[in-house]
Amino acid sequence: MSAAVQILNGLNYILVLILVAMGLVIIFGLMNVINMAHGEFFLLGAYTVVLTSKMGLGFWVGFIFAPILVGLLGAILEAVLVRRLYHRILDTILATWGVSIVIKQGIILTFGPEGLMVKPPMPEMVTFAGISYPSYRLFIMGVALFVIAATFYLFLKTDFGLGARAVIANPNMAASLGINTRRMYLTTFSLGSAIAGLAGATMAPLMSCDPHMGLGFFIPAFLAILVGGASSLGGILVGGGVIGGAQNAISSVYSPVVAQIVVFSLAIIIIRMRPEGILGRKARD
Amino acid sequence: MLRVQGLEASYGESLALQGVDLSVEIGEIKALMGRNGMGKSTLLKAIMGLVKIRRGEVAVEGRSVTGMPTFQIALEGVGYVPQGREIFASFSVLENLRVGLLRFPRAERVIPKEIYDYFPLLKERENQRAGSFSGGQQQMLAIARALVGRPKLLLLDEPSEGIQPSIVEEIAEILKKINQETGLTILVVEQNINMISDIADSCAFMEKGRIAYACAMEEIMRDESIITRYMSV
Repeated sequence: MSAAVQILNGLNYILVLILVAMGLVIIFGLMNVINMAHGEFFLLGAYTVVLTSKMGLGFWVGFIFAPILVGLLGAILEAVLVRRLYHRILDTILATWGVSIVIKQGIILTFGPEGLMVKPPMPEMVTFAGISYPSYRLFIMGVALFVIAATFYLFLKTDFGLGARAVIANPNMAASLGINTRRMYLTTFSLGSAIAGLAGATMAPLMSCDPHMGLGFFIPAFLAILVGGASSLGGILVGGGVIGGAQNAISSVYSPVVAQIVVFSLAIIIIRMRPEGILGRKARD
Repeated sequence: MLRVQGLEASYGESLALQGVDLSVEIGEIKALMGRNGMGKSTLLKAIMGLVKIRRGEVAVEGRSVTGMPTFQIALEGVGYVPQGREIFASFSVLENLRVGLLRFPRAERVIPKEIYDYFPLLKERENQRAGSFSGGQQQMLAIARALVGRPKLLLLDEPSEGIQPSIVEEIAEILKKINQETGLTILVVEQNINMISDIADSCAFMEKGRIAYACAMEEIMRDESIITRYMSV
């Protein structure tokens, strides 16, 4: 593989990682909930595509439905479970972890434990600047970039985003100004989940879909947040870049195992030196 | 406008409000005074739904708001400026004001011109980061942020705290002006007697989680021993 292809693959991974991390950090930033089932939302997104392919509906139907379905599931989870546990960080971790196990086992019961392949939706190669590259991977990058940009726009430029940021900064004050914080939590949780579902759906054709694939994205996404800092959306870009970039570069030169070890060590060192993350501030106002 | 009856609320471990009875009439500015730790701030928080009410009732314009979520109490027409102002420090001045407008349908999210008549500074500095404002400027911003939501009743918690005297006087004048021009009802927790005597129509003193004494402002002007009785440490 040429270096250019390597770099593009790395970029591809980084962008999807940022997508996953973004859903996670939106939920954490707004509600202080660490959603341990986030990786399984990714998983469900991928299996939505597996299912529609199996049923003969094809990839694209699954691709459209994955974020809708997972977003709905996120809303239900928020309303019946997470809502009851606000301000109890440890309990939300346990509860959402429980949900993640249920989802994973549900997938095993329904689809079996083995890896399933999805037929590539865009098998053509594109040739540009002297290299030949799968068009689907370019499509993924496009989707990821679009969703990342749209999320930034939503949170930084729209009235919804202004309300969400007010709730993040000071939920009691936001409520005193007439903002329905409950509804804000529900919408945001659902939105964060939907992004994870979309990420899973886009990645399904590139990897073998098995019930543990969620964890493979959840852990690096989590590291990306810790490294980049959870207090701003920009932190994820940096964290995702550092973690995803290192992971990809090292696996291509050595092996994925070495990459894991190095990335974990790197994360520990960065967190040790900058506990609030690279872009993190000391405290939120 | 506001009627509080037999209100009991806990704040943390201790029972902070132990049967508060208080009423504020339409268009009046009422001062709530008393020593520290007597439950004044807790009372405002309880009215706003920010602390859990154990017993008793809060009614705004005859409608009970007891047990409603905070945002709904705000929508019922209660504006709140907390102690320490709690402006959104990392937001711009304009963004702070816009948060107060989010309750309205999109087409109505316009900052009323009067707000800038009362607080011209907020127009001049609309793009400045609110956290860089001085204490007095932040207080004006916090009041304006509550006012853009067009409340009928404004709860103010220690607006003079940590603010230089000349600005306190300015804020007092603006509040009085707003009250006279718009008929806004105000319940203000305040230790600063000068400010109170400038603006308040009536006054209530809190002691140990209850209203110990309530009277018109003239009565205090005649007999200053009332203040010493409830305010001196």
